[in-house]
Amino acid sequence: MRAIEYAVRQGAASVWRSRGSGAFAVVAIALAMLVLGALLLLTWNAEQVLARWTSAAEFSVYLADEATSEQRGAIEAAIDRSAATAGREFVSKAEALVRFRSEFAELAALAEDFDDNPFPASIEVRVEPGVDRDGSVDALVRGVAPLPGVADVRYDREWIGRIGAALGTFRAAGLAFAALMAIVAAVTVAAVVRLGLDARRDELEIMELVGAPLSYIRGPFVAEGLLQGGVGAVVALVALGAGFLVARGLWGADLAALLDGESLRFLPVRLWAYLVFGGMAVGSVGGLLASLRAG
Amino acid sequence: MIETHSLSKVYSRGLYALRDLTITVNKAEFVFLTGPSGAGKSTFLRLLLLQERPTEGEVVVNGHNLAALSRREVQEYRRGLGFVFQDFKLIPSRTVLENISFVPEVLGVPAAQQRRRAFQVLKWVGLQHRMNAYPHDLSGGEQQRIAIARALVNDPSLLIADEPTGNLDPDLSLEIMNLLREINAGGTTVLVATHDRELIRLVGRRTVTLDQGRVVEVG
Repeated sequence: MRAIEYAVRQGAASVWRSRGSGAFAVVAIALAMLVLGALLLLTWNAEQVLARWTSAAEFSVYLADEATSEQRGAIEAAIDRSAATAGREFVSKAEALVRFRSEFAELAALAEDFDDNPFPASIEVRVEPGVDRDGSVDALVRGVAPLPGVADVRYDREWIGRIGAALGTFRAAGLAFAALMAIVAAVTVAAVVRLGLDARRDELEIMELVGAPLSYIRGPFVAEGLLQGGVGAVVALVALGAGFLVARGLWGADLAALLDGESLRFLPVRLWAYLVFGGMAVGSVGGLLASLRAG
Repeated sequence: MIETHSLSKVYSRGLYALRDLTITVNKAEFVFLTGPSGAGKSTFLRLLLLQERPTEGEVVVNGHNLAALSRREVQEYRRGLGFVFQDFKLIPSRTVLENISFVPEVLGVPAAQQRRRAFQVLKWVGLQHRMNAYPHDLSGGEQQRIAIARALVNDPSLLIADEPTGNLDPDLSLEIMNLLREINAGGTTVLVATHDRELIRLVGRRTVTLDQGRVVEVG
């Protein structure tokens, strides 16, 4: 405990002493954390939208015009047997036409010209949240599609999968870039801490000669990096917050349209903590690298 | 206390700093190590402080072969040593009291105890009135007394001094030697490397003379 207290006290003193050169380390970490934070902000918001789309999953079973009530009953029974089913609703041909007229009012005149109602009756099936991941929805769709009286089944989840995959690729590329910047930041911290270490050679020599434990010799340098990392991460968070407010002020409506009507949200506190701890970890690694030359 | 057996230290290109050195220093003894520049005095002290390792032979202190000590044991061993250098090696950014309490501080001694012990040794060297001064405010003699106080704060069983009077005038040198004699009178083994023959004559203790890394005289 005393070793930690000593390390933090000496580390803080060293941060203050070398605040000029330390600013480089703080800026380097802030940039790395800003990139990571921006990446998290974008992917987190996109994930929220994807999660909403995924949890709102449903599919439609279109019935053939000549489907009998027995066939419809067999189809509904098959749907009800599946654990993936959260609920279902029958939409008759007449209701389908009414829906079309209300949802596509500008095309209502077109519907007036139809001799017959061209819209098929359907059964809309809501699925349990999360079950699309275990394949049970796919199994249900495959089971229902060949039943007599079924004209078509529409369960187009591939586009969500494609967006998810694209998001994954974007996140991986962003993480790789952020990791590269974190390495640069750690090296910068190491260089800055090493300057302080060289200035304290005599002190370190005395510490070694009196038999000071390694935790006392190296600890302050790790603490110095940790503090620089923490400050850098907080700076990054503040900059990210400011950028977020500006972006929302300028393009809030456009972003909301892009996000399916939801407004862009800032990172939750849990991710703030990850960013700050991440910055501290990067700084600590830099400090540790530098401290390997001491003791 | 200290025994060396056939101790040699060879630097690059086959340059011998010490050659086949066998010395014994008894517990509570005061011994001068002397000889011309390059005789191997400082190398011997660096081996004792484990700042360097011997090329051949062994150094045994209190029954422990220093070459066999683990990193942790080296730390333990060093906690029983005091050291004084010609250039004092005080930390300029710390006050006199902080320079002394620095040693117990980095050994994890509680703060109140650090300051109490530091003040005790500072008083012992007669500089308690300078406790808040910084090293650059002190004379050479005062700085060396502070360095001695720092060496004593841990209550060492062995005090090693490398040319402790090298930067001091004769009067101050004798004053420092008297301090070292007092420390020795308290039971601490004292090993002083110096090339000052006159000082050795005035203090009058056992002397080991080195030349070109070999013991040439013991008297």
